[in-house]
Amino acid sequence: MAGAGTAAAAALLAGCNDSTPAPSSPPPTGGVNPPPTSNPNLDVLNFALNLEYLEAEFYLYAATGQGLSSADAGSGAGTTKATGAAVVPWASSGLAQYAAEIAQDEVNHVRFLRKAITAANGTPISRPDIDLTFFAPLAMAAGITPTPTFNPFTSPQGFLIGAFVFEDVGVTAYHGAAGLLTDKTILTAAAGILGVEAYHAAAIRTLLVGMVAAANDQTYVDIANKVSALRGTLGGGNETTLSSKSIVAADTTNAIAFARTTDQVLHIVYGTAGGAGLSKGGFFPSGLNGNIKATAS
Amino acid sequence: MANQETKKLDEIISSRRAMMTMGGAALAGLFLTGVAKAQAALTDNDILNFALNLEYLEAQFYSLAAFGVTIDKQPTPIPTAPNASLGAAGTVTLKPGFAKVPFTNPPISDYATETAIEEGKHVTFLQGALGSAAVSMPNIDLYNSFNALAMAAGIGPAFDPFDKDADFLVGAYIFEDVGVTAYHGAAAAISSTSVLGAAAGILAVEAYHAGLIRTSINQLDAGSGALAGLTQKISATRAKLANPSGTPVDDIGLTTANVSLNGSANLPATTFVDADANSVAFARTPAQIIQIVTGGSSANKGVFFPDGLNGTIK
Repeated sequence: MAGAGTAAAAALLAGCNDSTPAPSSPPPTGGVNPPPTSNPNLDVLNFALNLEYLEAEFYLYAATGQGLSSADAGSGAGTTKATGAAVVPWASSGLAQYAAEIAQDEVNHVRFLRKAITAANGTPISRPDIDLTFFAPLAMAAGITPTPTFNPFTSPQGFLIGAFVFEDVGVTAYHGAAGLLTDKTILTAAAGILGVEAYHAAAIRTLLVGMVAAANDQTYVDIANKVSALRGTLGGGNETTLSSKSIVAADTTNAIAFARTTDQVLHIVYGTAGGAGLSKGGFFPSGLNGNIKATAS
Repeated sequence: MANQETKKLDEIISSRRAMMTMGGAALAGLFLTGVAKAQAALTDNDILNFALNLEYLEAQFYSLAAFGVTIDKQPTPIPTAPNASLGAAGTVTLKPGFAKVPFTNPPISDYATETAIEEGKHVTFLQGALGSAAVSMPNIDLYNSFNALAMAAGIGPAFDPFDKDADFLVGAYIFEDVGVTAYHGAAAAISSTSVLGAAAGILAVEAYHAGLIRTSINQLDAGSGALAGLTQKISATRAKLANPSGTPVDDIGLTTANVSLNGSANLPATTFVDADANSVAFARTPAQIIQIVTGGSSANKGVFFPDGLNGTIK
């Protein structure tokens, strides 16, 4: 078992030479919070749209080898650094059908949010600069690899780990934002997207745990838990250890899903722990677009 | 069919759905007039008690499946009549000689245990949030109900979700997506920000459960499609109960549906998410939920709740 696990880990983690080196973590810059607009609902939707762009890019590359179309990315969109991103070699894993479903959902979320923002007399932000090679330094920071080599596009197992990085964060972000939404129509839409992100998160977590049951191989659940621990460090806790007996990510007192503030979500996607004035880094090398961009704490 | 309160809530929610297709100004105007007045008819406690009825049902199903006992017989009992002045606890009808599911698949057994614990916590949480207003558990039927639903869905004359692993998953499938649509449909009617936050968090956990169930069924099915076929019949039945006219079809069972992405037409995708064309989860009004759990009863009683729900929304 241990040997199998080691071999599997090697398969996951090796051969990712085309990943770029870790970007150095720049000191926080631009520590000015933009003034709130007259409509916080639009700020929150645009914040969410940034996250949906990121998720859509990841799943689209995994499923099709290409990212968002220019029409979906918006005018003047940033670029997506996708070195090493390609269709995952799914083999007979059966995971391609999950990836295609999630890719379609995340593209739909991009389109839906853009329409919803426009319908509310707002302006949807275009896709910011995105860096899909940030998985490598993130995995190193999580203690998964000694050097920044992890590429989630090289195996079905790696894909699950990459997906795991995002999905629970989406749940906590939409949950945390619910209380900020004063427009009930927008709230209902956001609650519906929250539900879909939780469906996704549960599938990823169930598939990871399923590997343990199928092959008696704890490797990838252990790796996921290192990701979870790093998210907890960056994003104010709000994590539970994944196991066959604990698949749902929720607080242990009331079985209610975790919620994160926009600051906590920003720290995770920027890949840098606490403090005010952080406005870029990690998956978003130029920062998010929109008014919710810099951390206040 | 629906009583006065559920009709009022339906009006609020359907009005908001209509607003989705309207411009901002018209939307704001509509919201501030008739809709806001109707909203005053229902309190957050009314909505939480409605949810508590559903959580009693889910908690009992999973507790019996995993532990073989009702929630009030667990080592740390969960009360079913937290406020005696609001009525005695109902009973749970089970098949003669009932026993817990004889699980042979450890991950499914683990799932049953985890969910039993989490749904029990939802009951406890809602009872705590409601305090002296928390209603008692109504009468619940977990025997004739599944048989009646199986007949209505065209599955057969009988269905026992406690018989084996796969049947348990199908039984769980009946509930979880419904929980998601119920919390989603009620969200906009909640006044308190803290109650809303809690409800959104429970919505997410129900969606985690639903995603877990659907993924587990898909993995267990392993290409045979037998279980997926059952989920399609159940989803079609739920949609029909919620929408007797036949539209919209607000439920999607497990199947393989081709998607077209980046010019890659006909990429097969597993429908493990129950959502609309925008990939937004479905929402249902309380009246629609009641129709599902009572099997389309004109008196709002039957199937899982043979004597109806407790509380204002019933």
